[in-house]
Amino acid sequence: MSKDQVGINELKRRDFLRAGLVFGAASSALAAGYAAVPDAFARAVYAAKQGGVKNDNVLVMIQLAGGNDHLRTVIPLQDPKLHDLRPVLAAQSVPMALPLNSSFGLNQNMPGIKSLWDQGKLAVVEGVGYPNPSFSHFESIRVWETGDPTRRQVEGWLGKTITKNYDSQGHPLTGCACGTTNVPGALRDLHATVSVINSSRTFGLQGGTRTETTAGALWKGTPGIYGALFDTAISTVQETIASVRTAMRSQSSVRYSDNAKLVYPSKTELGAALQLAASLITSGSGVKLLHVTLGGFDTHQTELNRHNDLMGYLDQSVAAFYHDLDIHGFADKVLIATWSEFSRRPQENASGGTDHGAASVVLLMGNPVKGGFYGQTPSLSDLDGTGNLKYTVDFRAIYQEILNNHLGADAREILGQSFDRVPFLKRPSV
Amino acid sequence: MSALRLLSLERKIPSVRSAVVPKTEGKTVEWPSPLAQQTARIAHLLRRATFGAGPDELEAALKLGYGRVVDQLVETPPGEPPAVPGNSADIGALQQWWVDHMLATPTPFAERMTLFWHGHFTSDYRKVGTGQPYLYWQNLTWRKMALSNLASLLMQVTIDPGMMRYLDLATSTGKSPNENYSRELLELFTMGAGSFGEGDVRAAASALAGWRLPVAADNSRVGIFEQRRAYSGGPLTFLGKTGRLDLKSVIDGILASDATATFLVTKVVHHFVSPAPQASYIRRLADEFRTGKYDFKTLMRSVFLSPEFINSQSYRSLIKSPIEYMISALKALKAPQLSGLVLEAGEQMGQMVFDPPDVAGWPNNDAWISSSTVMARINFAVSALSQLRNLPPAGDLARLQLDGVLSPVTTRLLDQAGDDRTRWTIVLMAPEFNLK
Repeated sequence: MSKDQVGINELKRRDFLRAGLVFGAASSALAAGYAAVPDAFARAVYAAKQGGVKNDNVLVMIQLAGGNDHLRTVIPLQDPKLHDLRPVLAAQSVPMALPLNSSFGLNQNMPGIKSLWDQGKLAVVEGVGYPNPSFSHFESIRVWETGDPTRRQVEGWLGKTITKNYDSQGHPLTGCACGTTNVPGALRDLHATVSVINSSRTFGLQGGTRTETTAGALWKGTPGIYGALFDTAISTVQETIASVRTAMRSQSSVRYSDNAKLVYPSKTELGAALQLAASLITSGSGVKLLHVTLGGFDTHQTELNRHNDLMGYLDQSVAAFYHDLDIHGFADKVLIATWSEFSRRPQENASGGTDHGAASVVLLMGNPVKGGFYGQTPSLSDLDGTGNLKYTVDFRAIYQEILNNHLGADAREILGQSFDRVPFLKRPSV
Repeated sequence: MSALRLLSLERKIPSVRSAVVPKTEGKTVEWPSPLAQQTARIAHLLRRATFGAGPDELEAALKLGYGRVVDQLVETPPGEPPAVPGNSADIGALQQWWVDHMLATPTPFAERMTLFWHGHFTSDYRKVGTGQPYLYWQNLTWRKMALSNLASLLMQVTIDPGMMRYLDLATSTGKSPNENYSRELLELFTMGAGSFGEGDVRAAASALAGWRLPVAADNSRVGIFEQRRAYSGGPLTFLGKTGRLDLKSVIDGILASDATATFLVTKVVHHFVSPAPQASYIRRLADEFRTGKYDFKTLMRSVFLSPEFINSQSYRSLIKSPIEYMISALKALKAPQLSGLVLEAGEQMGQMVFDPPDVAGWPNNDAWISSSTVMARINFAVSALSQLRNLPPAGDLARLQLDGVLSPVTTRLLDQAGDDRTRWTIVLMAPEFNLK
């Protein structure tokens, strides 16, 4: 084994895959007995600096799609203005909140994330936004995905990170979207190989190797404008199957201890997606940039219960995910971050909901985080012309910190400029 | 492209070798367009305007000729779907009902247009809820009005109960307007982002407030206007005009904007013609659409009769949506009994009716393709075939389904195939069958 490991250090990622395949094909008995081996393979690859990979840290981005109401996520406890603007929503949220300090409390349905706060593993960045905010879901999603408020870029910030920092041939699992059928915009880049795994239940080709061979041949080298797209898609199918197959073999030998009962919420797709993400991470598949989504945040109407439910889903999913990583010894490596295209307007509407807003809150969670509040809370008494909060922290400052100090990438190269630091990480881990 | 290569198509020779795409090293090779030939042109039209044609349909269409096929597509009133078996508010029953109708209908173009509008003026069952048959009503309305005109359809869309619930118009009041519908009406339904301001969103939200959902006593399938809930303030400024504003004048304002025709025509062209149309083509169609009082029949006829629809760049430039891919496969297999599979597999491919990913409906073309969805498409072909004991003859498949225009690999695999089951597997899995 040690000889192989040494060898791997010099290998390119694609070769790693081949090595992984050989290993996987060797025998299942081998895999069962050597849980550490694929893990070591993965670590060896991460250590291959020449290939552009700087460390073995992992990033999990959770998209709260539709515009998450940050004033019901991290709730101001003392501001009377909140009650003026939202008589219904504030009356129901403030008294129930789980206090973080004298000024702010988490939504009542977030005990799991509250416990991360208590352990110093939750950073809250207040007032996150960008200049001239768009109130269109799709434009603002694109701004966040590309890291470009001028809306000229098309490549995603994580896609660019893959292209510029990891070798362009791409380990198929470097960037991976879980629980969806499409590549999320943040991971999109013409030159990045990104895999998409909807669910572990349906993952795989029916008809086995025969199908794989036929389909592989058919979809490669296709003429026409979609040729390259088809090529990438089918190669990614094949490589992902191989990686997952290999990684999953090692997974079976990792046991959850009885006293660490692990329960992912079954009610949401986020729970399933994070469970899948955890198994990819803990099996040493080499996954690095993960993206998952929880939808339903466009709460124009009857927000109270719907938003509370969503906060509960987020909380239970994240808590189970963190726990899963922790008992597998991976919690030190994984940074979890939320993002949403915008927040809601401070003033509630007649439907018991809120319309599209501007400045938001970003939650950063996990062992790499230095817990606490960051940024500056925008004043509820100083709204802009559209009745929205004025942002105080550019969202790209958060990306910058993640890129430079968690992923060991060059943020300036990806974002095109520098921002004031928001130092929510314990220590630069590169 | 040399006509020689495509001779097989006209002569009905089941040889596929003659249309093999030439191999070139390291360059993007284009599909050789067979669209100079009437047969291929009609097959191309039916692939894009319907769910593809079997041998009988193709033969009937050939007799009519291209122009008259277009007339027939556009002029035939939509075939009425049968009643929903069971509860029309039950989402599973409703999804199955529509898929079954797509497979059975004598007017598939009406279903393609209904699907187009369902993706455009979209609503999902999660938000609309399943207590009332609102999505069933919406589907009937979209079908009935699929080839009407934009002014009538926008009136109807605004007060459609499913839509009123999906985008919250049902709870918007003049005192405290809900902006959800008015924003998407402007941004996603008509004018497109950047062609209006935040003030326009607010003005329209005020003007459109006051509609509520119908109750049983109303005996109505559209929203009911209540003056007491409506806006009662001063004049509103909408798209540069100030004055009294109501539903009709909001729609008039939208139709008076040049952005509207351009936005809608671009979407139609992305769905039916090309993912990257020339600006001059869009301008031409948009001008015509505007001066033709936003009539959909006129627009669709112009699209299908435009040279851009049948030029060589247009050939195989669109990717079938999952629904189109699955329905065309089951129609080719003459296997409507497998319609349950469409529901199961659709989700994995990224499309199930009444369940769009968000308020923008489904993205299209290259957005349909990821490692996950390609896997799901391949799995659908394998599952469908495994569930059929008898298959239609496959000797002529490459010509009938794929115009005889095949990549070298597809050609080789079909040549090597020893039986019809293998031929079907290859054709349904092939990228050629996933394109239109």
